[in-house]
Amino acid sequence: MERIILDNVSKKFWIGVKKNQNSLQQIISLISGREPKKNFFALKEVSFSVHEKEIVGIIGKNGSGKSTLMRIISKIYKKDSGKIFSQGKILPMIGLYLALNPRLTMKDNIFLTGLLVGMSQNEIKMKYKSIVEYAGLGNFENTKIYQFSEGMKQRLAFSIAIHTDSDIYLLDEVFEVGDEDFKKKSAETLRRKAEKGASIIFVTHDLEMIKKYCNKIIWLEKGKIKKIGGKEVVEEYKKQNG
Amino acid sequence: MSNFWSLSYQLAKAEFKLRNEGSYLGILWYLLNPLLTFLLLLLIFEDRLGKGIPKYPLYLLLGIIMFNFFQQATQESVRVIWRNSVIKSLNFPKETLVMSNVLKIIFSHAFELLLFIFVLIIYGNFNSGILIYLIILFFLFIFVYGFSLMLASLSVYFVDLNNIWTFVSRLVWLGTPIFYAVEGQTRLGILNLFNPMYYFITVSRDIIIYSRIPEMWVVLGMMIYSFLFLIAGMFIFNKLKYKFAELI
Repeated sequence: MERIILDNVSKKFWIGVKKNQNSLQQIISLISGREPKKNFFALKEVSFSVHEKEIVGIIGKNGSGKSTLMRIISKIYKKDSGKIFSQGKILPMIGLYLALNPRLTMKDNIFLTGLLVGMSQNEIKMKYKSIVEYAGLGNFENTKIYQFSEGMKQRLAFSIAIHTDSDIYLLDEVFEVGDEDFKKKSAETLRRKAEKGASIIFVTHDLEMIKKYCNKIIWLEKGKIKKIGGKEVVEEYKKQNG
Repeated sequence: MSNFWSLSYQLAKAEFKLRNEGSYLGILWYLLNPLLTFLLLLLIFEDRLGKGIPKYPLYLLLGIIMFNFFQQATQESVRVIWRNSVIKSLNFPKETLVMSNVLKIIFSHAFELLLFIFVLIIYGNFNSGILIYLIILFFLFIFVYGFSLMLASLSVYFVDLNNIWTFVSRLVWLGTPIFYAVEGQTRLGILNLFNPMYYFITVSRDIIIYSRIPEMWVVLGMMIYSFLFLIAGMFIFNKLKYKFAELI
């Protein structure tokens, strides 16, 4: 069964550019505070589909449109053209650990973030212990998040996210921080989720992870799909990017 | 829907906690601002502008705390979307950010209300009219929420709104009969017909301080303005919210 279908999806942004302006234009933009802007395609005619039980990896250089793609699928951004179909509950994890409130304790953060990702108060209460244990942060329940390391924050955010019962998980560079043990543990959790029927898309620069866990690999370049396929995509990507 | 409320409530609680974090006097700070404004204005105006106004101290204090609720909530709502970058990470009802902001200010309004009740008792004016204030507060809440939705969403597109509203809300403060009475001033009286806060404050004063039934058109005006702003606010917010994540 297809969980996500993207058909010719494009997204453009207005971005600021420095142009040669005459003095009048310079004064106008200084007064109005507006810079000259131009259209920039972050995604251009992207099409692919994701089935249930599938783990899809997205690779590409910085600025190739990976995060934009994730935000489009999770409906955080609105597409400009094309069609998107998705079925089931989507859980985006795009810089989720940055959304934690640094001045609140871990306990408060679990409840707040839990509600934000769509869990009910009771559900969080029931899963609270398991969330803390999974993240391996048992001794820090009343510690404020600003005293956490990046890895600890990432672990906490990941733990909250995978405790939701979602059908589609979108993970943006969640394996870049955190130690090897946790990386392995979280990848295994995702694999089990997929086996039970979830669809998973993740973005990472860790090509070994991609090779090991993904059934389908998408290579994005300048907002377009350069290649889509199996492990051979990684080899080609490696060749081109040294 | 229940998730909307529990999320708004939890966000409000967290904000409230953060505001008092590390502060020794904590909630006393909330009372200090209206209390000092009250004492200062009382000192200056009691023998002048307040001369013809019966029970002037009560008249003044109720006006101050009601306007304070409106001003604080709206001024903070202008920045509320900007402050919450979580919009870029998750897809959740963004209205909760505005609602939580209004709820947070309601918490502090409750403390100011206690101060007002205390003063009511001192002046021997405490009666059951204060219970009706809960109904008025419901309409005020709807109005402030609707207005906040407008400001919060528009400010994402017009950054200047932040500065403009700080200035305009101060003008509205001066134009609203808080420390003076509007009766007998034709031009200001007519202007105040377009000022929703005038209706809320007038109805509250009539019931709580003067124990009399407010005029029907003022009560109706209060209700109409609150629903009008709620509907307009929801409409504008709904139209604009899809671009928030891209613009902040």
